[in-house]
Amino acid sequence: MTNSNQTLAIKEQLQACRSKEETFKTLVTLSKKLPRLSAEEKIEEYKVKGCESAVWLITEETNNIRHFKADSDAKLMRGVLVAVLSLVEGKTIAEIQAIELTNKLVELNLSSYLTSSRTNGVLAILKKIASN
Amino acid sequence: MAFDPSSLRHLFPILSLQANDHPLIYLDNAATTQKPLLVLDAIQHYYRNNNANVHRGAHFLSNRATNHFEQARETIARFINAPEQSHVIWSKGTTEAINIVAFGLEHLLEKGDEILITSLEHHANLVPWQQLAFRTGARLRVLPLTSNGEWEDEFSQYFSHRTRIFAATQVSNAIGVSTPLQMMLNYAKQQGAFTLVDGAQAVAHYSVDVQALDCDFYVFSGHKMYGPTGIGALYGKNHALEVLIPYQTGGEMVRKVSYQATEFNILPYRLEAGTPNIEGAIGLAAACDFLCNQDRSALLKWEQSLASHVYSRLHRETNIEIYSPEKNTTLVSLSVPNIHILDLNAYLDSQGIGVRAGSHCAQPLMAQLGVVGTLRASFACYNTMEEADRFCNVLLEAIDLLLDDE
Ligand SMILES: Cc1ncc(COP(=O)(O)O)c(C=O)c1O
Repeated sequence: MTNSNQTLAIKEQLQACRSKEETFKTLVTLSKKLPRLSAEEKIEEYKVKGCESAVWLITEETNNIRHFKADSDAKLMRGVLVAVLSLVEGKTIAEIQAIELTNKLVELNLSSYLTSSRTNGVLAILKKIASN
Repeated sequence: MAFDPSSLRHLFPILSLQANDHPLIYLDNAATTQKPLLVLDAIQHYYRNNNANVHRGAHFLSNRATNHFEQARETIARFINAPEQSHVIWSKGTTEAINIVAFGLEHLLEKGDEILITSLEHHANLVPWQQLAFRTGARLRVLPLTSNGEWEDEFSQYFSHRTRIFAATQVSNAIGVSTPLQMMLNYAKQQGAFTLVDGAQAVAHYSVDVQALDCDFYVFSGHKMYGPTGIGALYGKNHALEVLIPYQTGGEMVRKVSYQATEFNILPYRLEAGTPNIEGAIGLAAACDFLCNQDRSALLKWEQSLASHVYSRLHRETNIEIYSPEKNTTLVSLSVPNIHILDLNAYLDSQGIGVRAGSHCAQPLMAQLGVVGTLRASFACYNTMEEADRFCNVLLEAIDLLLDDE
């Protein structure tokens, strides 16, 4: 599957969810697509602050193209990461910054992950993804 | 005859909400309880009929407001069996009450003095003492209570002639166990320490008698006992309150002010700077009335039966670890190895069930238990056995969905 096909498939799966329960089950399924990080990669430097579950995000840049690796100790968060990374993987920083990531997540029925409560770190992840 | 929660569920209109397309099941009562109509009505009634500032201008409404406000103080005093209503100081809640004491006693502490707490404390009954220790050079010591809350002889060594303050919770918010309070208070008093009891998790369930406890200070929050948020109380013995240096100063707490000096007012006003939370006080008094009109021991028995029912259903499951006791508790605190509590929480939420997943503001205790957090279902008088069973069923479903097949 090409990258954009994959993004489309993830989008369709999430948009088809009609309840929190369906979103939950879809995120569990999506979580399995996330390659796990090794213990050596799960270091403080890559940890995203502000998440109640532990989240690590590694950004690599070659020829201006950004590549991301991420992991979390919580399964749903891994599902959310699959959805988020599908929107930004392989893009330039300028392209990423032009995406309204929070709006995209609302379209994907993930708005409950965006509430800026103490327990939520998805906004912190988005910020890190789009940082210069 | 067994207590029937349907006899009072109709007093809590919020309980009939739908949550995520399911009937709401509210099991986060240790964080805050829902409020009965009596409390909502008392607040409305106050604003519709009696609103004015208290203790100021002698006019019709101000007199009415002041009377209701001071009657509320009397109700709280009766609720905890305080000998005098002037021994009840209004606060925002438990946290503020503890801070009033921690700042108020600072002038009595010297380098090398000891402040003793237990290992089951909420951060609210830990951080203010730790910071006080930093400011004064006193030493913070921690009595290592185990999760079954039993008294062990070796604990007595933690009390020394340097123990100036002993602060302990009556009931743990994180694991629901009652502490060996009377025993600890006896040792602390033998050393001449000031004693403070954190009653935040006790007041909704147990009848409190501060004179029987014989502690210097007793603190609690209204919102955990069916009252409004932003109001709570600090009870103190007369001499204990008298030695406190006011933590806040300003209007209301003074008698005479010049540019050179200020003469403070008498208790309780001395420790209540600024316009108080009048609606909160009135709402909290209504919550006391609500509780006192119930058969409180029947309520407690019911809440404990819900928790022990959940315990007995879940403790047989090999992959569930339970940290709360089997009996004599109103909550169940658990974790499932290899499944994140936030994932369990998310599934329960998708089914309309509200619980709490996290460290419960007790990170050192979580470290002692070897977990980052637990999932806590905490019960109130309006919860039903069907709700307790549904919690168990949905939790087991969640475990099935989340258990690793990778
Ligand atoms: C045992 C205990 N102490 C203190 C507190 C703090 O109470 P408040 O946030 O109402 O000040 C809580 C509330 O979670 C508690 O459970």
